Amino acid sequence: MKALSKKDASTVSPVRLERTFQRFTLGQRWEHAILILSVAVLLLTGLPQKYQAAGWSQWIISSPVRLSQIQRIHHIFALLLIAEILYHLVRGVVLMTRRHLSGAIFPTWQDLRDAWQMIKYLLFLTRKKPAFGKYNFEQKFTYWFLFFGIGILALSGLILWFPLVVTRFLPGGIVPAAYLAHSNEAVVAAVFILVWHFYHVHFQRLNLSIFTGRLSEEELRTFHTVEFERLTDDKQSDLKTPGGSQ
Amino acid sequence: MSRTHLLRAIGLISGSLALIAALLIAGLSPNRAKADKPAQQTEAYCLGCHNKPDLSLTLPNGESISLYISPAMLSSSVHSPAGIECEACHTDIKTYPHPAINFQTKRELSRSYYQACQKCHPANYEKTLDSMHAQAAKAGNQNAPICTDCHGAHDVKPPAQPRSQISTTCGRCHDQIFQQYQTSIHGGALIQENNPDVPVCTDCHGVHNIQDARTALFRVKSPDLCASCHANKDLMAKYGLDADVYNLYNLSWHGVDLSVYKAKWPTAWHTSAVCTDCHGVHNMLKTTDPASSVNPTNLLSTCRKCHPTAGPNWTGAWIGHNRIDIRRTPFLFYTQAFYSSFTPFVLWLSIIYVGLQIIRASVERIRSSLP
Repeated sequence: MKALSKKDASTVSPVRLERTFQRFTLGQRWEHAILILSVAVLLLTGLPQKYQAAGWSQWIISSPVRLSQIQRIHHIFALLLIAEILYHLVRGVVLMTRRHLSGAIFPTWQDLRDAWQMIKYLLFLTRKKPAFGKYNFEQKFTYWFLFFGIGILALSGLILWFPLVVTRFLPGGIVPAAYLAHSNEAVVAAVFILVWHFYHVHFQRLNLSIFTGRLSEEELRTFHTVEFERLTDDKQSDLKTPGGSQ
Repeated sequence: MSRTHLLRAIGLISGSLALIAALLIAGLSPNRAKADKPAQQTEAYCLGCHNKPDLSLTLPNGESISLYISPAMLSSSVHSPAGIECEACHTDIKTYPHPAINFQTKRELSRSYYQACQKCHPANYEKTLDSMHAQAAKAGNQNAPICTDCHGAHDVKPPAQPRSQISTTCGRCHDQIFQQYQTSIHGGALIQENNPDVPVCTDCHGVHNIQDARTALFRVKSPDLCASCHANKDLMAKYGLDADVYNLYNLSWHGVDLSVYKAKWPTAWHTSAVCTDCHGVHNMLKTTDPASSVNPTNLLSTCRKCHPTAGPNWTGAWIGHNRIDIRRTPFLFYTQAFYSSFTPFVLWLSIIYVGLQIIRASVERIRSSLP
């Protein structure tokens, strides 16, 4: 995990050492861990409520008492997720205004060009894959899709949790709308994570950088070519401290 | 030795013969109803005395009962013209002078003689044994109704002639509920118009095995009772009512909750609203009636029965038994419109994109493995 010094690289070592680059900070990795935990528990306690007629749901919700317990767990982990989202937003805004965090996650026109190039590649119209920056358009799509998805789920969930309070200020019609939105969005998000996200991080290639925090030089050069060139070519000083772009 | 054997054998044979004879006689016993023998004339014999209007008897507790039987009433009942006469029910009285009366009270007399009904109507009699009324009797209430209280004794007539007679009969004891029912949309149509479609008491409560309507089980099944008419398209079309109310209720928050309880825990008490919680039980009115609990002007106070802190916007959260509609439920309409295209779009996008990636990666792998 330690960055290699010039000295190590110049001496001949019996061990093949590979340079690694920091991709995520420890805090970001903790945030992802909390996200996994809360989303998993929310899906496990939410889906049985949505599909109450199904046999597997009745195995989980076996009594009225169990139902209220499951709802309580759902609420507790919803609070955890909301706290994590608020922390994420405040941290992002503060760090970005102090220029300690790059805006690499924001979508750009380059992402559209990359996506078009990727589609041509997938349809055998070209042999050239697009070269990506720190986050490729697939990763940005994952982030923003779940960003807004969780936003919708949190808002509609709070409306369903406190319908009497909410309708003091807002029209009553939003309650059944929130019910429909919460129910649909949860399934969309779940399937999206399973199909899109799991394919990209588990099956296409095992990408554990969100847990280890680092990408190997090989991975960075292959999958984030633009970012690799930026880190290695721009300034020689980056070679000494390849600490990522944050 | 041989003589005692012979005596025993004779005793056995004669005993068996006597038993067979007794069984045969019992089988042909005149106590059974004689619908096939209308020529029987005991009725005329009994009426020889009992047609006197002032004939009466004082029971040991001081109650006086009239022993007068109006011949006109008898002949207009269902039994007498069918040849079922006095002794079919009064099995203990075979001749004059009658045997001594053992009953202390008038009610004791009724409760004893009504047992005769089961001779011909065993199925309905057995049903009554499972009823709420039988439970009341078991608990010591001598006034709990027996067959003759509802159907009459000497004046038994076919029920439901007219149909309102059923509810009027129940109302003799359940007078307060009957008052409410009379003012309801159902009761009003029954009593005033003799409407053949509206429910009478027994349509919802059952006939002979009437159950306690205050149990969790009755409550959880009660929307099905309403649905037996209100989900009937032809019947509802006759009155310009929507027959989808039950299906739409089942999709609502209340209805989903109820259906889970109904399927899994039917005897557990549940608090989600059923039809009667909002529309009233015996006093339901047309939604357009200003006095109706679900009239828009009264809806909020009806919601507040369960949601006491509900604000004025709260009723907007109730979509009524209406399909999603741009005018009535705009928020729901746009949400549904969004997800009906967004959900399949995202799912197909993910599946197609990932599928293309798998194909491309596989082709690339095969190419690189080729020489």
